[in-house]
Amino acid sequence: MSDLAIVLRSLRTRGFSTAVVVLLVAISAGLLLAILSLRNAGERAFERGTGNAHMLVSKDGSPLVSVLNGLFYANPPKAPIAYAELATLRASFPWAMFVPTAVGDSYRGFPVVATTGEFFLKFEPVLGEPWAFTEGRRFERNFEVVLGASVARETGLRMGAELVLTHGSGKSREGSGEAEHAHVHEEYKYTVVGILAPTGSPHDRALFTDLESTWILHAHDRFEREGKHKTVTTDDLVEEDRVVTGVLLRLPSREASSAPPALVAQYDRLRRDGSITVAIPSNEVQRLFGIVKSVDVLFLAMAAATLLSSAVAILLSMVNSMSERRRQVAILRVLGASRARIFWLVLTESTIVGLAGAALGTVVCGVGLFVATRWLIAAHGIVIAPEIDPRSAVLVAMGTTLLAAIAGIVPSVIAYRTPVARHLRPLG
Amino acid sequence: MASESTPALEIARLHFRYGEQGFELQLPDLTLARGEEMLLVGRSGCGKSTLLQLIAGLMDPVSGTVKVAGQDIHALAGAARDRFRGRSIGMVFQTFNLLQGFTARENVLVALLMSDLPKSEWEQRAESLLRSLGIERLDALAEELSVGQQQRVAVARALACRPALVLADEPTASLDPENALNAVRVLRDACREQGAALLVVSHDPSLESHFARRERLDHLVTREGAHA
Repeated sequence: MSDLAIVLRSLRTRGFSTAVVVLLVAISAGLLLAILSLRNAGERAFERGTGNAHMLVSKDGSPLVSVLNGLFYANPPKAPIAYAELATLRASFPWAMFVPTAVGDSYRGFPVVATTGEFFLKFEPVLGEPWAFTEGRRFERNFEVVLGASVARETGLRMGAELVLTHGSGKSREGSGEAEHAHVHEEYKYTVVGILAPTGSPHDRALFTDLESTWILHAHDRFEREGKHKTVTTDDLVEEDRVVTGVLLRLPSREASSAPPALVAQYDRLRRDGSITVAIPSNEVQRLFGIVKSVDVLFLAMAAATLLSSAVAILLSMVNSMSERRRQVAILRVLGASRARIFWLVLTESTIVGLAGAALGTVVCGVGLFVATRWLIAAHGIVIAPEIDPRSAVLVAMGTTLLAAIAGIVPSVIAYRTPVARHLRPLG
Repeated sequence: MASESTPALEIARLHFRYGEQGFELQLPDLTLARGEEMLLVGRSGCGKSTLLQLIAGLMDPVSGTVKVAGQDIHALAGAARDRFRGRSIGMVFQTFNLLQGFTARENVLVALLMSDLPKSEWEQRAESLLRSLGIERLDALAEELSVGQQQRVAVARALACRPALVLADEPTASLDPENALNAVRVLRDACREQGAALLVVSHDPSLESHFARRERLDHLVTREGAHA
């Protein structure tokens, strides 16, 4: 027998209310921990999408929009970069990576990224993690297409399958709800030649093809507008057709260095050209998180309020039980327990409730995140992969336990002040 | 350390007052030797329980002294008094006041937790006390035991720390006459075996024939107010 045994037995005696309060604390602590973990995971997931590009050049309205459109495929960029501008940019610096992209076409709502073969050779969707194919290869000829992992899973397209793209962001006829201004290029059939392994980034929800094929579609539209109906080839392409919407740039750097010293100088140099928008993707992601931080803080505040309410639940539960426990306190006093010892016994009890709640909350959070991760992968192909940060877990556990201990002060004082003689009288 | 000749209980000119106009108790000198038994009988509300709480140091008198095993309990403050009470005084109540949710064994062990006996002896002490009092279901919860068994567990708990004095407050009030006699027998036998003095207070005059030394509290108390 020990003081701790008395506390545990006391908690067990009131098993149901103890279990309910522990569960309440666990849910609150788990929720807070889950929000902290998801916040970190969301930030990591966004950072994954930026890959190894040091800069992104486009003609979007702002660097943030440029990154959202060019790397996260939020919307098709509106303003194209002309081929001459592209050539000038390429010649301006000995880039380690120079990958032009044209985003604007779609397949069943999934964005189609027209690019060069260098996209698969030099661009890494996640820093340090190059592209991997579950099947097939990268495109080598015109009208070959590579599917992102989520696209392959959601459309059911297999290797060798043929598909037609929609010019614009509407859905092609295999899908539904076509956009008003989008039209399907049935004349040009694409063949699936590769399926990418999941990257846990927005690239999983895109299709990739070569620039020339996209330019041919644009040229076809141009001929249509001119009233000429013909099958377009690369020979028909003119300067006007050869446009891109963005360029992914990487400066020469050591492998481990994601931000070489020359980056700032090149960034400043490019920004002097007012006709283009230059973005450092990792900075823009940080800016984005800065913008959403207020919402983030709101969520955290809500979780903290829930935790606070569970502390109040501990307080109420223990105060409510004091009527029956005053007798127990009186008996312990008669047996020789001091007032201070009684105070600490009750305080230990509330602290244990907090500690048990925090421990269970961590387990609940872990299981919840595991289930949510599986569901996100299965339903949306989003690899957020939240992990419980040990530091957050320790902080939440300490905070929960401290709150529980504070909640236990009032019942402890009530126990401390319990008049012994009155509570030893026969009941009834 | 008190010697064997030191009385288990010495009360001298005890004066207690409850409130300004309420109950007042004045008790002349009273001594109880080690191993001695005494019955104090008095009608309800005459101050029997108050007297026991004064002796146990749960209430403070206006004046006078209460010495248990030579120690003036009211000269001790706070935790020291509580510790002394736990080690030197055992208490048995009318409704036993066992800890609900605790087993018979644990009820005795909780008392030993407050004792100065070595921890290694606790289990054996609890078990031997309970078995000597006829309790075989040591791990049954207090509320699962019969009234008679609960009473014996309460006696075992009161004697757990080898107290000099056991105070019994209406120990037979909840029992029928036959069980009341058994309860008194169990209490007296156990106290004798453990060498503890026994002071029983009761409103039941039928117990008087079982105690060689008995007093009517009504006769000892010099003043009595409205307090029940």
